[in-house]
Amino acid sequence: MKETTNKYLIVALLIGVVFHGTSMFFTLESTYDALIHLFFSDHYANSWFEPWNYEWYTGFTVMSYPPLVHQSIGLLSMMGGLKFGLFSVALISIVLFITGVYRFSLLITSNKTVAGYASILAVFSSSFVETLHVFGQLPSIVGISILMHALPEIYLWLKTGRSRYLATSLSLIAVTVTSHHVTPIFGMVFFVFPLIGMVILDVSRDQVDTLKEVSFKIFLNSFFKLFNRIISFGMASLVIIIGCIFPYWINSKNNPITQVPIPHGSRDNFLEITSSGLMFFLIPWGILLILLPYIFYRYYSKRYLFFGLSITLLTILGTGGTTPIPRMVLGETAFNILTLDRFTLWASIMSLPLLGEFAYRFVEGDLKALIRVRFGAIYHRIIGGILAGLFIFMTVFTMSLGYFRPFQPQKIEMLPIVNFLNQDDHDKWRFLTLGFGDQMAWLSAQTNAMTVDGNYHSARRLPELTTRPIERLENSKFKGVAGIGSLQQFLTTPDKYNLKYIFSNDKFYDPILYFCGWQRLQKLENGIMVWERLNVSPISSILPKDDVAKWQKIVWGIVPFLTVLIAFILNIQMLLVNTLKTRHKKTPEFLKFSNRYSKFSKSILKITHFWSIFLVVIVFYNLYQFYLKNDSQRSPENAIIAYYDALDFKEFEIAYSLIDPTSNISISQYMLETSLSGGLLNSYAKLDAIETIITSRNDSLATVKVIADWITPLEKIRKIDYKSVSKYHKKWYIKSEGLDTDLPPDQLFSNNTTSYFNQGRRRITTEQTHHEDILKQPVLEVLSARLVKYGTHFAIIGEIQNIDNVPADIVLKGTLYDDHNKELATYNAKYHVKHKLFPKESSAFRINFEGIAWSKTQDSIPDTFNPDEFTPVDFKEHPTKFNLQVAGNVSGSDLYKKSVLSQLDINGDIISGNLFNSGIQEITVPQLLISYYDQNKTMLWVDHLFLKEGIRQQRKKGFEYQILKNGKIKIISESMENVFVNGLPNAHISNKIIPNRIENHSSSELQKIKHPDFSYIKIEMNSYIGNLN
Amino acid sequence: MQHKFTYIFLLILILSSSFVVVKNSEVALSFTLETTQTAFEAGTTIVLKVATTKEIKPLLYCSNSYGSTLLTPIYENKILSYTFPSNISSKIGVIKWELIHEESSISGEFNIHPKQVVSSMETYIGPPSIEAGGMDYSMLVVIPTDSLDNPLAENTLVKTKYQFLNLEKQDDIYTKNFIAYKNIYSQNKSGRILVSSEALHTNSKEFSITVFPAIPIDFKILASRSHAYADGNQVTTFSTSVLTDVQNNIISDGTFVSFFITNDKGSILNTSGTTINGVATSKMIHPDYGTQWTVKAYVEGIAESNTITLNYSQVVKDFKVEFSETNRGISVGPLQSFMNQMIPDGLEVKLFVYKNNRVLETMTKTSFNGFVDFYLKPDVFKNDTYSIVLKTAGLKKTFNSKILW
Repeated sequence: MKETTNKYLIVALLIGVVFHGTSMFFTLESTYDALIHLFFSDHYANSWFEPWNYEWYTGFTVMSYPPLVHQSIGLLSMMGGLKFGLFSVALISIVLFITGVYRFSLLITSNKTVAGYASILAVFSSSFVETLHVFGQLPSIVGISILMHALPEIYLWLKTGRSRYLATSLSLIAVTVTSHHVTPIFGMVFFVFPLIGMVILDVSRDQVDTLKEVSFKIFLNSFFKLFNRIISFGMASLVIIIGCIFPYWINSKNNPITQVPIPHGSRDNFLEITSSGLMFFLIPWGILLILLPYIFYRYYSKRYLFFGLSITLLTILGTGGTTPIPRMVLGETAFNILTLDRFTLWASIMSLPLLGEFAYRFVEGDLKALIRVRFGAIYHRIIGGILAGLFIFMTVFTMSLGYFRPFQPQKIEMLPIVNFLNQDDHDKWRFLTLGFGDQMAWLSAQTNAMTVDGNYHSARRLPELTTRPIERLENSKFKGVAGIGSLQQFLTTPDKYNLKYIFSNDKFYDPILYFCGWQRLQKLENGIMVWERLNVSPISSILPKDDVAKWQKIVWGIVPFLTVLIAFILNIQMLLVNTLKTRHKKTPEFLKFSNRYSKFSKSILKITHFWSIFLVVIVFYNLYQFYLKNDSQRSPENAIIAYYDALDFKEFEIAYSLIDPTSNISISQYMLETSLSGGLLNSYAKLDAIETIITSRNDSLATVKVIADWITPLEKIRKIDYKSVSKYHKKWYIKSEGLDTDLPPDQLFSNNTTSYFNQGRRRITTEQTHHEDILKQPVLEVLSARLVKYGTHFAIIGEIQNIDNVPADIVLKGTLYDDHNKELATYNAKYHVKHKLFPKESSAFRINFEGIAWSKTQDSIPDTFNPDEFTPVDFKEHPTKFNLQVAGNVSGSDLYKKSVLSQLDINGDIISGNLFNSGIQEITVPQLLISYYDQNKTMLWVDHLFLKEGIRQQRKKGFEYQILKNGKIKIISESMENVFVNGLPNAHISNKIIPNRIENHSSSELQKIKHPDFSYIKIEMNSYIGNLN
Repeated sequence: MQHKFTYIFLLILILSSSFVVVKNSEVALSFTLETTQTAFEAGTTIVLKVATTKEIKPLLYCSNSYGSTLLTPIYENKILSYTFPSNISSKIGVIKWELIHEESSISGEFNIHPKQVVSSMETYIGPPSIEAGGMDYSMLVVIPTDSLDNPLAENTLVKTKYQFLNLEKQDDIYTKNFIAYKNIYSQNKSGRILVSSEALHTNSKEFSITVFPAIPIDFKILASRSHAYADGNQVTTFSTSVLTDVQNNIISDGTFVSFFITNDKGSILNTSGTTINGVATSKMIHPDYGTQWTVKAYVEGIAESNTITLNYSQVVKDFKVEFSETNRGISVGPLQSFMNQMIPDGLEVKLFVYKNNRVLETMTKTSFNGFVDFYLKPDVFKNDTYSIVLKTAGLKKTFNSKILW
């Protein structure tokens, strides 16, 4: 018989390359993982044999991920750039996948037409589309594709025992393992074990006439017959899996993943978190869900029995946290490290041959006949149309998921950032990106500058990162309070990490940057704001690294490509024979077990019908629930939640549509009012949780108590509102609230201020010590400093003054020592100081000693973490002394001091008052620094208060402050001996400039309070200006 | 046996004759220094000549403060010539050399002195800013160097010149240990000192020292306002007299002055300003009730002002309160100002709801066209008896036992 080319496979390849090849240019770059792989590729392109990468996480090793795909992209990038490499490898992976599915299907079904059907359907299968176009997991795709290519070879080795097949199968396993480590390990369990079972059954079948006659005894006999082959294959592949990426295993052993698990959607309960259910269950299964009865029926037939067990396990593991089974099967550790969506992916891929089979039987086989006989031809056509329609819908929906729900921020033009980093030695410091999404990996690939962050969380090394359940600092706002808390540590002590520049693509982080002492440098052409911190030393030119033996580097650099080369040489002959049909080839063993597809089981058809009806009911029920929940005006709760959601996402038009139409507010008036209400809560808050309690309700009116938790970059805000909701034309509307009617006295007013410009270098040179242009560091004086203990935690508090003639940016760094002069802790001042001081201006300060949060109790992260709270250092020894290093640097920015305390009333332990903005900038986030004094006017403590709302020009805003309740503060040390300003002793330097200082000068202006522990307070103002005029 | 003696004899003969030959050809190896010059000018070619008794070419070891090297000679007519490379011969200082051979050695040293021609003036000045008053100083350091970057000889004259206001002055200093330095003290005035220096007719470029004014001394403050009414709307501006230091220099722009205001009730308010040409201004919104302000300004720890008092007279004499909607609607107003005009929008009215002497709720609203309306929601305030207190413009009205139904 002359062999003909399988036209279905050709069609599948053509469609696949055209469909995926064109669409990937619009999807791949905004997937979750593609850019990370690109970064690794960039690493290999630059230093093929050196596994240490300095750019992320203060250094990590790329031996923590199998290298083949990265190295391939890296190699191709030499030809046409990184992205060329990425797209080329993606194309190759598409071809590999389609052919892989064909060969796997042929192996399973022993029917070329069916395999052809399967390969065409594989092109559009939603799990493949999702893995490629949504997740961008190239290594995973390459891994599973090669594994599918390996399966027929394994079958042939086991069946025929010809060593040629052993060589080809092992060579393909080797390629699999060098592209993705998890695939062959689990692939062994889920694909190869069932395959072995199938071979044994086939061998047993050969001994008897029908499959039914295969008894357990025959099965056991066959098993012993094949035992040597199975063991030799198993041992050899074990050696290959370990050997080919041996450095990876060494690295895993040396640097075990001992970090707090990072939440992943695939571990969620899909019924509770429906978005995860959609992403990790519904989409990958897609139309296969309808065919589940058929798939299970077929895989539980005798020949495929082991595949049946395997797919059952895969299906259950893929359900994540919906059932407790995956956690029990995998164990706690593996459950928290693995992303469980891969099990669903494999299950769906395992189902593809049967999808092809079903399609074949439905389109031209016995199923068609059966349906026609039982239900008629029209029914067959309609069902066919529905199934095809659903299949195409799933593909289109998955493909365009990124359009409906963007996974990434808008594409950022990287060139201005790359240029900035290359300019003037800016890459001598580390940088940090905020709000870049996975595009930060693309930035890292383009620059040599280093970042403290990174995008491959398994490789994190800093305890500040590994103890937090956050992937990146960069998107910490989505990780709630734990994320912000982690970010704050980096922002407060940037000198520890040589972190000087921050590229912010999200103004959410602006207040925290300001209050941690950062200043705005410039806005780049692409709209990215650059923030800088003064007084940070550059990275040392020699950085530590975990070096590995030379042989490891050589193995890592050479073996992956060697495996490809060997696999290519071993398989090419067969490949050529197969494609070119140069000579007649013996039919492979597995084609002997073909099914005639003559009689489709009636009961399965019935069950599938019932199953489909069941699914339809579930879908419609959920749609209805979704409608009820999202119909914003159906109930008072819906109206409130929709309103708050609209405010959270700044969709003011939607918010306006929920406002009571009888209140006669025009949309322009409404928009005007909302645009004027700036501040922490209105501009920088993210809604974390919302609870509505209906306090009263009748047919047309309701009052709702709304408890809303907002996360702001500075602190968590709980706001309780009582909202009135009224029904009007069967819809619920929210009553609008009154406005602040404060009317400023002046229409136009002027304000003179002193502003400064620091030239930096007057001469355009990168000479680092061009001494003429180095400004003297402003002289500061620490007026008082003492180490105090409040409750369980220690702090250095005091007062600092800029005694120079130029404005200063100040950095305060405190260190605690015990009696034996052993250093216990070091930290910088965070919120509790005005970081920018005019000449002769003073500020109270407090330095907290924050530990690396939760490092001790890794598993008990508090649910109610507040970014404003922190974990105090757990001191083993008692701190008794302190050292305070203060550094001043000339800075002309953020010197707005026009916030005025215009009214103050003390009522019991509540201080209320007004702040008045007397200047020409709108204050976005006003802050109060409240210092406490004892009866001798000795400073004891410094506290702060952020006002929730901003203050517009010439307006006032009220505040309320609760005086500390438990105020037992113990002074531990008052010695100013170890206080240094710009490296010089404080006393010495201040005696020179202000020899006759009036001590406690303005202490007569302290506010008296009635309190058992404190006698006086002082209030200072600090303000963050969001939009500089 | 005969032959044995013959052999021994022959052997002795040969051995002894060879000694004779050696002894005859031996001339003692010795080196003699031919070069007599021990001081050279930097940059000239230095050739050290050594006479030798034998034709051998031993290496010469030499070292200066930059390092050591070995030199290969040229042998000519029993004279060894060692030419020093330019990296040694162009640096001033002592060069030590030594010629070592197994049999004889010789050593010595010579000096290289700089060219007395200035090619550049290496100048440093710091700190770049000092304080007026004659106490603070900046140090000028000059290192005149020759074309080979060698500092000039000791005691080279360096003329320092500086200009400050009308003063132009020149001082002579001399290099010592290669550098010449001078402390430049500030004068009583603030301003800018321009400095340059000259050595052997070569001039440096211009350097500048900024002289900042010293710390301020006590000053006066005054207030200006459009009227003396406590309307809670107008803005009072405080300003200082010109702040100067003790030498009467106007202090640096941007100096921070805090103004503390103590009112009748003992509350301490504060505002601040930064100086421009010595004058700091700050603003404060008028109080909304009649009070007296005592104002004093400080430059923390350094200087302070006199105390001034300002009186603000009450404008809202009384206000009406009307209850409606089952006592839940509370309307306050009209709130009238000093000419009986409606008070400008934004006057704060506070409502306190008490139950059994405990505050249940505090509501703050601002006036609009002279009125403020409150509404006590039935869900928050159940039907009951409450005490209601209204406070505005320093006035207080209490309504005990109001029944809400």
